[in-house]
Amino acid sequence: MKGNIYTLFYAAVLGTVCAMVLTFAASFTKPYKDANAKAEERKNILLALKISIPEKASSEKLLEIYKDNVQEQQRGSIKTYVYSPSDDNKGAIAMEFAGPGLWGPIKGFLALNPEITKIKGITFYEQEETPGLGGEIVKPTFRDKFVGLMIRDETGKPGIIIKNGGEVAANKVDGISGATMTCDKVQEMLNEAIRSIVEEKQ
Amino acid sequence: MADKQSACATCQPKGLCGGKGLTTLKEGAWANNPLAIQVLGICSALAVTNRLENSLVMGAALIFVCVGSNLIVSLLRKCTPYRIRMIAEVAIIATFVILFDQFLKAFYWDMSKQLGPYVGLIITNCIVMGRAEAFALQNPPILSIVDGIANGIGYAVILAIIGFFRELLGTGEIMGRTIPVFSEWYTPNQIMILAPGAFIALGIVIGIFNAIKGPAPEEKK
Repeated sequence: MKGNIYTLFYAAVLGTVCAMVLTFAASFTKPYKDANAKAEERKNILLALKISIPEKASSEKLLEIYKDNVQEQQRGSIKTYVYSPSDDNKGAIAMEFAGPGLWGPIKGFLALNPEITKIKGITFYEQEETPGLGGEIVKPTFRDKFVGLMIRDETGKPGIIIKNGGEVAANKVDGISGATMTCDKVQEMLNEAIRSIVEEKQ
Repeated sequence: MADKQSACATCQPKGLCGGKGLTTLKEGAWANNPLAIQVLGICSALAVTNRLENSLVMGAALIFVCVGSNLIVSLLRKCTPYRIRMIAEVAIIATFVILFDQFLKAFYWDMSKQLGPYVGLIITNCIVMGRAEAFALQNPPILSIVDGIANGIGYAVILAIIGFFRELLGTGEIMGRTIPVFSEWYTPNQIMILAPGAFIALGIVIGIFNAIKGPAPEEKK
């Protein structure tokens, strides 16, 4: 019986020590992780709005550019990020979108022109898709396909299509081969975001 | 006197841990390479090797975890109750893996985003558990550290080789940068980035490794 008590005691002590080490590590890295997440979010808003940022900009620099250019506005129930420079063609309005991906949640920002008819830019700041396949959604080569995309189909119904092959349409882009599931899910969450902002506008 | 001499001739007490260190190092990294000979831990070797950078970070993660968990398991080997030794090993391994994950998230944010869930999956990597169970439980701490380094390097080097060729053939780039001349001339073959490419690359690397190393002593007859 002595063995059992010792075993329980050993397990309890080991578990407690491990938990304490991890708690310490988590609280030690928390400020860094929070700063990373904040800078990442700001950077994605800037990228979606097509505001040029220097390559390898520091977190402080990003926050500064963000403050100088972006206004946060509430539009009905949607929080929007508005960029209105003197050159009217460059103006844009961004909103967050989110939804389930293949392995984990996907979050990003969708920027539209001020008239809410075309996509200006799109970014993803949180995703756990398969590296090399679904993970390619974060690459500029995929995201740039969305620039200038109409957000309504020919009948005027809001929505876009991400699909390989099929008929060419003003609201359709090619997907990523090998990542059909990810593309379907991204399409769904983008359409939800588009519908919500179109309804808010009316 | 004669007794002493014969003892010295067989065990050669010099260098690290009375000569055992070097043997352990060779054994782990070469003769008993965890990936190429024992074919352990191939799940992660297949998953993260589509880019060289990912492979290198993953290799570093495994060296860190293997060394850390081997050291702690070895230090505790005399007081760990036999019945719960495996659960204790997993708890220790998981602690080190999460430490590394937290470190990546705090200081190498971009890399952490790319590797996604695979860092956490080191907990289930057969190599780490295998070394703790097969080596650290029976050997003193310093020797266990050497064993951890040896196996970690054995894994990391093979991963880097596979990552190098998969990225080179799959994208025509290395470390995300284009190579002059080669990148313009070469048409990337996407299969090398996809799962089948991983199997092909791993199979070829294991084959070449075994051809160079030659058959194991017990197979020579």
